[in-house]
Amino acid sequence: MIANADALLKPLTIKGLTIRNRVMSTSHAPGYGKDGKPQERYQLYHEEKAKGGIGLTMFGGSSSVALDSPAAPWNQVSVADDSVVPFFREFSDRVHKHGAKLMIQLTHMGRRTKYDTENWFPTLSASPRREPASRTIPKEMEQEDIDRVVRDFAAAARRCKQGGLDGCEVSAAHGHLIDQFWSPGVNQRTDRYGGSLENRMRFGIEALEAMRAEVGDDYVIGIRMSGDEMIADGLSHDDCLAIASEYARRGLVDFLNILGGQARDHIAHAISLPNMSFPVAPFLFLPSAIKREVDVPVFHAQRVTDLATAARAVHDGHVDMVAMTRAHIADPHLVKKLSEGRADDIRQCVGAGYCIDRIYVGGDALCIQNAATGREATMPHVIAKGDVRRKVVVVGAGPAGLEAARVAAERGHQVVLFEKQALAGGQIGVAAKAGWREALSGITRWLVGQVTKLGVDLRFGVAATEALILAERPDVVIVATGGLPSRGPAKGAEAHAVTTWDVLTGAVEPTGSVLLYDEMGQHNAASTAELLAKRGCFVEIATHDRMVGEELGATNQPVHLRELYKLGVVMTPNMELIEIYPEGNRLVAALRNTMTDAEEERVVDRVVVEHGTLPVDALFFGLKNASVNKGVLDQGAIVRGEPQPYDLSAGYALYRVGDAVAGRNIHAAIYDALRLCKDL
Amino acid sequence: MTYALPVLVFVMVALATAQALRRAAWWRQGAAAEVAWGPGLLALPRRYLVDVHHVVARDAYASRMHAVVAGGLIVATVLAGLAILPSLGGSRLYWAIVALAFGVTAAGSLLVGARRYPAKPRRLSGGRFQILPFLLLAYALGGLAGALLLALGAASTPALIAALALSGVGGLGLAYEVRRGPMRHAVAGALHLVAHPRPGRFRSRLDTALAPLDLDAARLGAETPADFTWNRLLSYDSCIQCGRCETACPAFAAGQPLNPKRLIQDLVAGMTADEPPYAGSPYPNAREVDPPAAPLARLIGPDARIHPDTLWACTTCRACVEECPMMIEHVDAIVSLRRNETMEFARPPEKAADILSDLRGAGEPGGRALSARTDFAAGLDLPVISARGEADVLLWLGEGAYDLRYGRTLRALVRLMRDAGVDFAVLGAEERDTGDLARRLGDEATYQQLARANVETLGRYRFGRIVTADPHALHALRNEYRVFGGEWTVVHHTALLLELIEAGRLKPGVLGGLSVTYHDPCYLGRYNGETEAPRKVLDLIGASRVEMARSGRRSMCCGGGGGAPISDVAGDRRIPDIRMGQAIETGAAVVAVACPTCTAMLEGVTGVRPDVKDIAELLLASMELGA
Ligand SMILES: Cc1cc2nc3c(=O)[nH]c(=O)nc-3n(C[C@H](O)[C@H](O)[C@H](O)COP(=O)(O)OP(=O)(O)OC[C@H]3O[C@@H](n4cnc5c(N)ncnc54)[C@H](O)[C@@H]3O)c2cc1C
Ligand SMILES: Cc1cc2nc3c(=O)[nH]c(=O)nc-3n(C[C@H](O)[C@H](O)[C@H](O)COP(=O)(O)O)c2cc1C
Ligand code: SF4
Ligand code: SF4
Ligand code: SF4
Repeated sequence: MIANADALLKPLTIKGLTIRNRVMSTSHAPGYGKDGKPQERYQLYHEEKAKGGIGLTMFGGSSSVALDSPAAPWNQVSVADDSVVPFFREFSDRVHKHGAKLMIQLTHMGRRTKYDTENWFPTLSASPRREPASRTIPKEMEQEDIDRVVRDFAAAARRCKQGGLDGCEVSAAHGHLIDQFWSPGVNQRTDRYGGSLENRMRFGIEALEAMRAEVGDDYVIGIRMSGDEMIADGLSHDDCLAIASEYARRGLVDFLNILGGQARDHIAHAISLPNMSFPVAPFLFLPSAIKREVDVPVFHAQRVTDLATAARAVHDGHVDMVAMTRAHIADPHLVKKLSEGRADDIRQCVGAGYCIDRIYVGGDALCIQNAATGREATMPHVIAKGDVRRKVVVVGAGPAGLEAARVAAERGHQVVLFEKQALAGGQIGVAAKAGWREALSGITRWLVGQVTKLGVDLRFGVAATEALILAERPDVVIVATGGLPSRGPAKGAEAHAVTTWDVLTGAVEPTGSVLLYDEMGQHNAASTAELLAKRGCFVEIATHDRMVGEELGATNQPVHLRELYKLGVVMTPNMELIEIYPEGNRLVAALRNTMTDAEEERVVDRVVVEHGTLPVDALFFGLKNASVNKGVLDQGAIVRGEPQPYDLSAGYALYRVGDAVAGRNIHAAIYDALRLCKDL
Repeated sequence: MTYALPVLVFVMVALATAQALRRAAWWRQGAAAEVAWGPGLLALPRRYLVDVHHVVARDAYASRMHAVVAGGLIVATVLAGLAILPSLGGSRLYWAIVALAFGVTAAGSLLVGARRYPAKPRRLSGGRFQILPFLLLAYALGGLAGALLLALGAASTPALIAALALSGVGGLGLAYEVRRGPMRHAVAGALHLVAHPRPGRFRSRLDTALAPLDLDAARLGAETPADFTWNRLLSYDSCIQCGRCETACPAFAAGQPLNPKRLIQDLVAGMTADEPPYAGSPYPNAREVDPPAAPLARLIGPDARIHPDTLWACTTCRACVEECPMMIEHVDAIVSLRRNETMEFARPPEKAADILSDLRGAGEPGGRALSARTDFAAGLDLPVISARGEADVLLWLGEGAYDLRYGRTLRALVRLMRDAGVDFAVLGAEERDTGDLARRLGDEATYQQLARANVETLGRYRFGRIVTADPHALHALRNEYRVFGGEWTVVHHTALLLELIEAGRLKPGVLGGLSVTYHDPCYLGRYNGETEAPRKVLDLIGASRVEMARSGRRSMCCGGGGGAPISDVAGDRRIPDIRMGQAIETGAAVVAVACPTCTAMLEGVTGVRPDVKDIAELLLASMELGA
């Protein structure tokens, strides 16, 4: 039992609004907006959390109130005209049906957006200072702009109320327009909106006063803001405290949603959405300090991934509501599981940041480990039992095989799972060996817990063979044998290169100087370089890409780069490895600049390469001919969400999932397995 | 010589009467009690033949044995006494009949002996009880031989003299034993049945409510034996030391220092200075005590006869009362002693002090806000009666509402009532603890304060009936609040659910194949006689129901009643572990429960075990499956 869990399950009343418990999800922009509206996908995504027992779910991260804060860049929601109201109505009915409350975040992003999309208006700010993260130079706002945006905030608040939302939050965090006015590093004005803190607070006060005047005193309006921007020319903790107390004292806000840091550049952004390299709840002290000074409830999100921490935060009085935003992306049924005494069944967010990293490259938010999130229309979070019980043999206990076994067992099938290693996890086990990436193993831990509970027949330490599989007389065979690292095409690589796996698993322990050649731009090479440098190697990481770790997302790449710089790793982009040959007891690596074709050589003790994986597929091909489907997956049926159309009376069907098909990633492996097995 | 036997009988009766009167002098040390003598006397045969027999018959051997030996003894003795009439004394046929009666008695005596020799069951006391079969046999065989000789017409032969002498030894021995020996139970037992302190419990009715205490009395509760009413002292004297109570007692089974039989015997021993030593099983892991030799001394304390741990180990489950063939009221005695400890000496169990003070001050044993009682249902929009003034059903939430696990049960119940369209409301922040816990911990003052407040609150609203999922609350509201003016129809949720299903307002689904064993809560089964509704609901949802060895009125306690979890008296095992062990023996996948305390106690059992689910949760699960 989780200590003080009951603290989380107490209602909170704000004005007339009673929220059933203390667990919430803060507004985020999952990229599910369509035409600026929260439509079915977006609504189902939040309805799932409501079903799962959450107290308050806030949607529409950074929903825009004005035409010059476009909704397009992250497929967001526009509250800039009345056409959104019917969607709000439908949305709030959906969520209220399950007893949860629904709010939205309203904002004008100011300079923190793009000019070159949607309406092509220039971005706005207090002063024309460029933000590194958003890369735009804003127009300095005239009084007329200020008055218009203030009116826009008010009109947007009215639309929220008309749409039946339980309240709204104004974003003054992550460098949006209101906190651009607050922050002395952005606001260089000399009029009544600039200079003293009092002046810098004015714009926000005007916006909130206009909203209040529009929706009345009993409608819940809050604000999201930093408790300390933690940069020299930003807002100090004392500034934030002063702003929070002043806004609360004036009765402008009914709650304060406090976070730590800001998001003006890559590393700041990574810190504001702490990934697995951070401790749990690193900024809890900030809301805690502010709560001491104000009379309104205080909310907080930032890497509260487990209920024990959440319960402590509320029980010890640090916050009134604890947000578990990514935690709900990983498991929308978190509160339900807690209150049903099934806390062990909670799929805990591992902090991989797959969700957030995808939206920063224009994708939709998806969870590395829960393939049903954001796909509620087609993928179930709770797998229903099927009518027939089949014998399913799964080979490989990497994420693909574990998920296949889990879902098949939930369907009611009799499942045997072979894994040749003594432990489950496949490549996750390799990935988790690298320093701060240990938390990835949480994915394996949950899956193994579930399959064990479901009574899957686990055969660890047994390499499956055709004979062993056929002896089980299976109806379905799922090959999830994953992949093994490739050494790449460079001449001499097979003989002289070792792979990142060799280093991570400890099969090889390099010393001296190491050239690490990376063609993937993923975690693998970056974390291997960190590991080697920490062990005292002199490491150079060379890559074909324009920069090291090019494929890594916005909350992960800065952390890797920070570590690589700190460790003195030499980073050499735009290079291709063409040959390795021995010279004495050392190795010579020949590199070619991809832009100039100029060749260089390095004399090193070791050459480590990262070229991704090639599938382990011998077993699949051995079983293929005798299978009823010749190992073919009917893609049409998968996409339509229908069972595979094969007649199993004549023998077994054979499928391949995960890296055993082609080297990809954990989400792909898990999604492959979920969508196949949910209809098995 | 035909007069010898009747004379012996008269001497026996005289001796027994003298012994009984000597004993009665001690009973009269007790406090006054109102006894309806007339009705009691009239009811005696029925109480004996029906109510007592009902209990005795559970042990078939004992029942047969007692019928034969007691029946034979009484008939033979009365007949032998009647021989004083010359017309009878001269009849050889008459003596043949007397011989027959003594023969039956002799056979019964052999049954008594066979139970104790060569080895007696552990629950039976030894000591003077081991001599009893010999006295009976001597009296019966002597009587048989004498009567036979007289029937054959033998006048004063040496054989006849020998037979009468044997009979005299046995008979006088038996009569002598009326004061301090096994035969005391016969005289005290008969009187006890007439003057029983709870006449309401006969005719298979239930009378289980604790009597309220006059808080202005000079002494609160019982400190010494003399503080019990005289008819209760009498009742303790009727104990035959059969040990049925000890076998049923959960605290005894758990190795806690409580044995209800020994406790009753301690009360008996405390009356006089010369009670023969106790020869039954001891208090398990008995705590060291230092009882004063003087009679009528303090009963509770390390320096008294009964250690406080013994007193506080009781869960008030009434299993002992249910099993006692002498209709002794152990729980009343225990509560009287607790009242004295808690109120006169301020010595409740260590952990109870804060709880009692929270109950007094906050109306809630955890000191939590009363408004937080409905927290479990936030988001369910529970209707609160103060906002409406009336409702068909007033849902009494009880203390379970504060418990994380139990919130699930209550949410299931609320959903079921909603689905069935029941018009219900809760008291919300106006609901206080019923005071059950305070009362069982001996704090009658706090109990009465809470009871009065709740009666006053409930009196302000109109509702058809009260429904609660908490059998302790149900018992208080239904049975113990009456004296404070609270008279309502109080229904347990399992009964309501059954009613809703039978009326077609709830459509149960089928949990086919799920094997379930139902654990009867003491306060529902034994205290209120309700054992059928939960079982019927389980049958209606298609559960395959298996019974534990102890079930229904004779079920075993979960260990959670009477404040026992707060007293937390150390033993060898935990009561819920024992009960769960019994559930595991059935092989059931689920233990169905119907009480928040049982839920908490059984959920607290660790290791591989069946799931614990309330009837409401199972019914809802069946409906969700069906939907
Ligand atoms: C260092 C590193 C870092 C990574 N970081 C990330 C990341 O941050 N994010 C991300 O999304 N992905 C990452 N990946 C990739 C990701 O781990 C893989 O895409 C994923 O694990 C593929 O899952 P899978 O189940 O298909 O195969 P695998 O994980 O390869 O599992 C296959 C399993 O099958 C077993 N097996 C093989 N043959 C047999 C047989 N005959 N009998 C029994 N068992 C057999 C293997 O022992 C293995 O356990 C990383 C990979 C590495 C190596
Ligand atoms: C996909 C994604 C999009 C986000 N977009 C926003 C946003 O638009 N506005 C905002 O205030 N926070 C946004 N956030 C930040 C979250 O609200 C939250 O602060 C963050 O996830 C940290 O909390 P957590 O550790 O509980 O997930 C976003 C987070 C994610 C994962
Ligand atoms: S992708 Fe990672 S960070 Fe995002 S919710 Fe899933 S586990 Fe958490
Ligand atoms: S009430 Fe229960 S616990 Fe108490 S003495 Fe009787 S059987 Fe034992
Ligand atoms: S109290 Fe009752 S049950 Fe217990 S030993 Fe005495 S007579 Fe038997």
